[in-house]
Amino acid sequence: MAAPQALTLKTHRDRQNWWQSTWIRRALLLVPLALVVLGLANVFGQRPVTTVASAPAARLTVAAPTHARSGLVYAARFRIDAARDLKNATLVFAPGWADGYTVNGEAPQPLTQGSNDGSLVFGFGHVPAGHRLTFWLSLQINPTTVGDHVQTVTLYDGATRIGVMHRDVVIFP
Amino acid sequence: MDIVLRAAVAYVFIIFMLRIIGRRELSTLGPSDLVLLVVMGDLIQNGVTQSDQSVTGVFLAVSTFAMLTVAMSFLTFRSRRAQTLIEGEPLILVENGKPVMKNLNAERMNIDDVAEEARGQGIESVDEIKWCVLETSGTMSFIKK
Repeated sequence: MAAPQALTLKTHRDRQNWWQSTWIRRALLLVPLALVVLGLANVFGQRPVTTVASAPAARLTVAAPTHARSGLVYAARFRIDAARDLKNATLVFAPGWADGYTVNGEAPQPLTQGSNDGSLVFGFGHVPAGHRLTFWLSLQINPTTVGDHVQTVTLYDGATRIGVMHRDVVIFP
Repeated sequence: MDIVLRAAVAYVFIIFMLRIIGRRELSTLGPSDLVLLVVMGDLIQNGVTQSDQSVTGVFLAVSTFAMLTVAMSFLTFRSRRAQTLIEGEPLILVENGKPVMKNLNAERMNIDDVAEEARGQGIESVDEIKWCVLETSGTMSFIKK
């Protein structure tokens, strides 16, 4: 029996062409499956990652996503645990914390704010030994921002460097 | 520029997804199909326009989708290969009253689905069907004996 016009039994009934293989469709279904699995594995962010930089004078802890997507709103947390008196605790943020971002707010408000070679410089004043200072930075990634951003954070006591934390954030479109 | 690129990427991704999930989902409106089609539009909008609420943004996004639709249409019109790739091919589901199980399975359908569709077209039994073809749009065409 002949197939209806414009159809052939070989192609439309028996699916004998290689591109009609069920395995090709199954293989293509791996694409959305892989996206879901990678998403669950935090490959595309935005789960915060906590990193610690320790020095004899103080310990700096940063909790912020290292993978995120453009347009996302999140808060980064910075914690300074002073082992000895820090007379003028200062955090210096690499330009990657501000380039392509909108800084929605800071809490608590730093005592001083400045800029040094494109880096943000926030001064918090005296942090006594044994005390902890926690600082939150509320950020939004601009919708057009993509790629890798260096987000190094350096802790100073006045002009003395206490510790440095090297971080990167990868922003997906 | 960004919104045009986003719209273009979203368009290609939607076409790809609709091609691989199976054509029946395009024409049937079961609960899960309905969820997919309704939610998809909303999710895509966020990714394409993001926080852009301007009329210019709407013009850019809609124009991009329109141009890509015309381009796809032209491509499928001019190239048989492109048509097969983008739209797929019709599939014979019933031949002379007998189900073609290989094709039904490939589309995650059973003979009851065919019978239901046939009833809607005034065909009482699958035995009365000479050809049942699942078209690229996801609809079924019937040719009676």
